Amino acid sequence: MTTTTTTTAPPTLAVPGQLLGPASRYQPGPGTHLHNANLYASLLGHVHITQPAQQPQQRQRAPGPAKRLTKITPAPAPAPTPPAELPTISVAVAEVRSSRVPAAGAGAGAAVASGGGGGERKKREVLPEVGNVVLCRVVRITPRQAVVAILVCGDSVLEAEWQGLIRVQDVRATEKDRVRIYESFRPGDVVRAEVISLGDQANYYLSTTRNELGVVLAVSEAGNTMQPVSWKEFRDPETGAMELRKVAQPQPQ
Amino acid sequence: MASSQHVLLSPAELAYLHASLSLAPPIRLDGRSPTQFRPLVAETGILPGTNGSARICFADGTEAIVGVKAEVERTAQRPGEDTVFFEEGGVGTDDADEEGETRDGVDKRKGDASWVEMTVEIPGLRDDDSGTAFLSAMLSEALLADGEFAKRLWINRRFHWKLYLDIILISPPLSYPLPLLSLTSHLALLSTRLPRLKSEGDEDPFFDDDWAAAPHLYPRTAATTTRPPITLLVMAVGNNIIFDPSKEELTVADVALAVSVTSATSPSTLSKPHTTDAEAAAAAETDPESGRNLRLLSIRTIDPPSRLTPPGVANAVNAAYGAAGTQKATLEAQTAAETEAVEGVWKAPRGGAKRAVLGALVQKVLERGGVVDEVLDALEAVELG
Amino acid sequence: MADRRRINGPAGATIPPVFDDVSTPKLKSPKTRSRPPNTTRKMYLKTGVTPSASGSAYLEIETSATPGVSGLKLSCSVHGPRSLPRSAPFSPHIVLSTHVKYAPFATKQRRGYLRDPSERDLGIHLEAALRGAIIADRWPKSGVDIIISIVEGDQDRETSLLQGDEVWDMMNALGGCITVAAAALADAGIDCVDTVAGGVAALVQDAGEDSIPTVVVDPIPSEHEKILAACCIAYLPTRDEVTNLWFRGDLPTSDIDLYTSLVEKGIQASKNANRVLVGCLAETIE
Repeated sequence: MTTTTTTTAPPTLAVPGQLLGPASRYQPGPGTHLHNANLYASLLGHVHITQPAQQPQQRQRAPGPAKRLTKITPAPAPAPTPPAELPTISVAVAEVRSSRVPAAGAGAGAAVASGGGGGERKKREVLPEVGNVVLCRVVRITPRQAVVAILVCGDSVLEAEWQGLIRVQDVRATEKDRVRIYESFRPGDVVRAEVISLGDQANYYLSTTRNELGVVLAVSEAGNTMQPVSWKEFRDPETGAMELRKVAQPQPQ
Repeated sequence: MASSQHVLLSPAELAYLHASLSLAPPIRLDGRSPTQFRPLVAETGILPGTNGSARICFADGTEAIVGVKAEVERTAQRPGEDTVFFEEGGVGTDDADEEGETRDGVDKRKGDASWVEMTVEIPGLRDDDSGTAFLSAMLSEALLADGEFAKRLWINRRFHWKLYLDIILISPPLSYPLPLLSLTSHLALLSTRLPRLKSEGDEDPFFDDDWAAAPHLYPRTAATTTRPPITLLVMAVGNNIIFDPSKEELTVADVALAVSVTSATSPSTLSKPHTTDAEAAAAAETDPESGRNLRLLSIRTIDPPSRLTPPGVANAVNAAYGAAGTQKATLEAQTAAETEAVEGVWKAPRGGAKRAVLGALVQKVLERGGVVDEVLDALEAVELG
Repeated sequence: MADRRRINGPAGATIPPVFDDVSTPKLKSPKTRSRPPNTTRKMYLKTGVTPSASGSAYLEIETSATPGVSGLKLSCSVHGPRSLPRSAPFSPHIVLSTHVKYAPFATKQRRGYLRDPSERDLGIHLEAALRGAIIADRWPKSGVDIIISIVEGDQDRETSLLQGDEVWDMMNALGGCITVAAAALADAGIDCVDTVAGGVAALVQDAGEDSIPTVVVDPIPSEHEKILAACCIAYLPTRDEVTNLWFRGDLPTSDIDLYTSLVEKGIQASKNANRVLVGCLAETIE
């Protein structure tokens, strides 16, 4: 059976349950699932095949010295995936792809408008996942944590507001014991943070322990939008007053 | 619903349980054989204010009582059918009725599903909980499926008995309560007696005061083996079929079915499925062996709670353990949750049940001289109070 | 007890006069099947009918040849995935909640606005059918609501209210509910292992009490003398798996073949519905 499927190219459009190809040819991406060593679509949409990045091995070595192991672990098992990287196959509604390519955005937008009324014209709902960088607004603060509403996940604006929590120990990586929540966040601030856990029943747990994470947009007590001046301070351009924040390192556009 | 209540088993425990239940023969947690039921204590006639009652206590401590109450109710008249004009005084209708009842021995009794009202109460669940509605729908469906039961409640063309079955689970549900509730209501119905009718024809009914003379709803004579239905819970793990699963066993079920069967005296007019005479004769020949003529009344799929269990993580992709140190592995574990099943690592099942497995389950339940006969025999032995 | 707060009608039933209308010709005997036993009715399925929902679908099943017999009209909307209420416990999976509601005017007997036990029962059957089809672990900590309103139940207005058993109508409704919910789920972009579709088959006795019963697909209760047993099946065609099986009736256990053929026919009906479903979904993405 596999011999017949390897010869056929995957379809361009897929409905849930449609065979896409054997697992030996592709890696499962979003919108697909694995069943009996074959890949099947699990979403309705267009099939995309992404070729693997060319230099994964070199990039892997880049970030600093490897962490030293402090516990006994079994010898690393042989890698589950074959050394040769397989192309990733995924199924997505067309609009998700067009939002990734800004150049095609205008045309796709027109198509959305003319598509008219159909529920399928909307972009697919996205959930925050562990490791995602999200933008959120601070809702309220307590001495132990800041409660935030997650608004944007990665590149996509979420349809629903998901509640998140930045605990005092997750604000910054150093001097964790000196962190004061009210010196780091104020209600109304827009914060860039990373999801570190799906958390408890209501909240995602977020962290701002990297330089580029923290408050990106803050409003002073006078009501003016402030500018970041240091890693822990914002300044009101009109009154000149300084306010303390966990400031996110400004990112090049 | 009750079947999907959370069972606090870790993925490792689930995997272990699933593996031991998939062995041939399966090894169950409590050492039972696949077809063995949990021991239970049963008694009937415990509630003097009812027409029939029963109590069953399972060895794990779950306990249910059922009370059956009957009330005389006026039958709703339907235009267009053989209407009785009760305003007329019943002179002309009496003749018609006697004629109707005696002619060729044709039974003119009619039943209606609304004559039976069943309520299930489970502590900890709201009255309008879907699980409760599902249980009572399943139990009353089994009772009414053959269309014969409601006919027993017929008094005359103007009146009928309205039967209220109140099923109360006393203990919190430690396992899926369906078999317990079904067995208890079976016993309660077996012990149910309705007062002996003294009036005749379509007149207002009046009854014999002597409770000792009241006949059973299900008469127990040698000639009749008709019994109330029983509903069995049966599940499959791999190729093994397991009866009366405990809560933990149900958590790893690939598929779970509730199968309702009953035993009828003789093939009624409803049941002439034998395509040839030879087949019918063969069936008649085999019948005396078990003494029962089992009939399949209803089957429902129970949503197995295994689909809601947390998955395990294989060592190969576990960043905290085997694959520690390499950042690539952690990333992979986060992004590619889609992995092939690994031996010994629990993964919540997806999809449904194979057709063959479902067929085998039903066949195993309906087996002649199998579990159903065993259960019916055991219930037969319960003394009616 | 009588309700004393309202002005009630007379206690006893009165019988409206029935006039024999000679001018209306009898179109056909009401108890004959208009299709061959192996043929399902035609159906119409469309996704994306409710713009405000994440996904939606509408299903209509052809009325049978007799005028006055309404078909089945179902509308399904899927809301979510969305965050769970604060009181809900943590769930590593998507929490599925299904609501099936007959419109008050969908059946001969008016339905109230609150869900009655039979509607709750349908909801549970639907949940069991869909639970097997969706990939629940793709959406942790979230919930999805599947709401189906039965705009028109599949009931014959010519037969009297108490003729026939409503449960057979419920099976037909469930079959439609499963198909329409699968379309709406796919439209909403919730991961499913396969497209699940519902099918109904029944064992009927058409020619009197002593005739040999036959198995038919997609039965209409008003077209048959007597339905002995019926089953509704939710089936995943590519995986060849059954996610929900609901059988009801009265079958001798000595003849398991009868049961098996009933299930086979149910699967066949489900496959027919699935072809429509896949065609509709393919149209949606084009």
